[in-house]
Amino acid sequence: MGNKTFLKIMSVAAAITMMCGALSGCGGGNGTASKDGKTQFSVGDWPTKDGTEKENLEAKKMRFEEANPDFEVIPNNWIFDLQSFYPKAAGGQLPTVYRTHFTEVSQIIASGYSADITDQLKKEGLYDKFNPAVLDLVSEDGRVYAFPYETYALGIGFNVDLMEASGLMEADGTPKQPKDWYEVADFAVKIKEATGKPGFVFPSSGNFGGWMFTPVAWSFGVDFMDKDEDGKWKATFNSPEAVEALQFIKDLKWKYDVLPSNTLMGGAEYYKEFGIGNAGMLLAAGDFTKNLPEYAIEPEQIGIMAMPAGPKKHVTLMGGAVQSVSDKADEKQIEGALKWIETTYSPDATDEYKTNTEADLARRLENNELITVKSMSVWNTDSEAVKFLHSKIDEMANANPNHVKLYNDFVTDLGDCVLQPEEPVCAQELYSILDGCIQEVLTSKDADCAVLIEKACSDFQVNYLDNLDY
Amino acid sequence: MRLKDHNTVKLKKRMKVTSRFRNNVDAWILLIPAVIVLYLMIWRPTVLGTVWSFFKMRGYSIGEFCGLDNYRMVITHTQFLPTLWNTVKYVLWSLVLGYLPPLLLAVIINEMVHFNNGFRSIIYLPAVIPGIAAMLMWSYVYYPDQTGLLNVILMKLGLEPYTWLTNPNFAIPGIVIYCTWKAFPGTMLLYYASIQSVSTELYEAAIIDGAGMLNRAWNVTRPQIAGTLLLCLVNQIIAVFQIMQEPLAMTGGGPNGASISLGYQLYKYGFASGGKATGQAMALGVIIFLILLVLTIFYFRLNKKVEDNAY
Repeated sequence: MGNKTFLKIMSVAAAITMMCGALSGCGGGNGTASKDGKTQFSVGDWPTKDGTEKENLEAKKMRFEEANPDFEVIPNNWIFDLQSFYPKAAGGQLPTVYRTHFTEVSQIIASGYSADITDQLKKEGLYDKFNPAVLDLVSEDGRVYAFPYETYALGIGFNVDLMEASGLMEADGTPKQPKDWYEVADFAVKIKEATGKPGFVFPSSGNFGGWMFTPVAWSFGVDFMDKDEDGKWKATFNSPEAVEALQFIKDLKWKYDVLPSNTLMGGAEYYKEFGIGNAGMLLAAGDFTKNLPEYAIEPEQIGIMAMPAGPKKHVTLMGGAVQSVSDKADEKQIEGALKWIETTYSPDATDEYKTNTEADLARRLENNELITVKSMSVWNTDSEAVKFLHSKIDEMANANPNHVKLYNDFVTDLGDCVLQPEEPVCAQELYSILDGCIQEVLTSKDADCAVLIEKACSDFQVNYLDNLDY
Repeated sequence: MRLKDHNTVKLKKRMKVTSRFRNNVDAWILLIPAVIVLYLMIWRPTVLGTVWSFFKMRGYSIGEFCGLDNYRMVITHTQFLPTLWNTVKYVLWSLVLGYLPPLLLAVIINEMVHFNNGFRSIIYLPAVIPGIAAMLMWSYVYYPDQTGLLNVILMKLGLEPYTWLTNPNFAIPGIVIYCTWKAFPGTMLLYYASIQSVSTELYEAAIIDGAGMLNRAWNVTRPQIAGTLLLCLVNQIIAVFQIMQEPLAMTGGGPNGASISLGYQLYKYGFASGGKATGQAMALGVIIFLILLVLTIFYFRLNKKVEDNAY
């Protein structure tokens, strides 16, 4: 074969390979009907790495397909992240079942990428069993667009060793609970004095700072926005309360001197600072422990307690996670997807639920994750499934339960504390603007909180609320 | 007879075209993969992005026509002008900090008698370190507490630790220092090759005239490589104008927007807005494209001039 012919063949082969590669990207990610008439649907978050989690899911898939012979589950490795979600959704590449968070779900619903699952929820008898306040967060015009499976409230996470060294723990391992933000600052000062480590850590970038700042601000009496009579949103946080809340964050750095030197901290850096034992306390949701196994901190060193009150209000942020069904799913696929979700997230303690829950707790233990924190229930009544989960947590506890007792008691009975969802519109944009304010007060001793808040409020109005079209 | 001639001419013409196509068929086949890649990765997104910038977007799904609304929102955004100014600052700092070092090193290597090759290889090392790894490494070099490499050195010298990238005045120069460290080997090699092509007779004549190293560099090397110098200048301006990954990985655009660039703002519109600002991302993309188009036209004109002078 001559060089010329060889080159021709290679070029044609390369061209065909590239065209195939390009065209293969056009296939759907949802799955359809298989050859033997089964309805296929894909499930995201499928691990790529071999191990317990993957084995658990494969066993669950096998059991599911045996119990539901009409359906076939297609594993999909995609894990939700904001960067790839919208391009994937527009390209019809989302898995049929995907996990996302409360903070994103309203925008996803508004964009139409989450299927209406109301009828199927009613058919399965689940609709009336949800806590209406939780269901409201994933509903629009009375229709439900996602399956909430986990809710949590923000509290104060802490490093047990540093708290003990600072005399802030009882003998039985229960922490002393700071009643308000100023007492949190006092605790942080004690930790810094006793251990030399930063007593508190507060994030400031990647929208994480703004997200954490909102509940602090609410407790100082801040209202971030309001809808006027014409239905237009107005930014309302150019108030003395917001200035006071920002001043509190500034004081953590310049008055109390309890924050780490690095003042540009996004979510990953924030948890890392705590995970390597470099921070006494942090604002955290009940599920923050799953961010920690990759660091040196051990489950026995981690604790969480209730959210302190502010000068005006005792309030905490409600967060959580949902399972959504892709907008491309047909009725039969929605049915299969809901049945699949129910195997792990159900109000009833079915055998399948028990098997999956035990397997998941075992995996978390193997992963060295603290499992003693109990999340809030998404159901409106005493759920058998939740009771089962909590009894298993008590049974399999991998740390002193008193380290998380105050938080578990808090989410069981909030008392005077208001559980508030995220801001209703442009929440991420608000967080981004607040990030800037936090960065400014943490890097500049002379930063004027009133000026910053005034500008932030005006920017939020001009750049976002005035341009709001859905 | 006349008709016969006419047909023969036509036939000959056709044969010529066919034969030219046949001769070029290999070239066309070889070009297909590159054309497909260019079409999918450059031409199609550029055209679609421009068209979609005039539409309301729902995530990445196209909505109704909205005229210049996306452009209005981008340009009236209160951070647009500060971000544009930041981008210009990146360019200016890159010229101050990053334009001359590669040239100086190329001149030094050219003048070196021993270890020339070894030194050249060592100097090229930063260019082969993967970008994100290098950025994270430099984040720790700049880390603002006692564990940061630069602060360790400062403390050894009895000085106070510095805030580095968390200081709004240092964020951009700090990132530019990293960029210079990462990109200078490539530019340095370009200069080195250019210097190598300067006739040795000119240097010999200069040495006979008693010119020292600096004198030779200024009076012999500089005029001979002026074209390359100009090209690298424009090239650097274009490249730095598009800076995005470095502020994203090293500062997140902070503190308080002090290091955010137009490229990073586009990324935020496109991928961190929850799908709300995709149209604005397209519009900002077009704005950046137009700015770069002007610079690129200038670059090509300059390139042509340099090439014409070279031959």
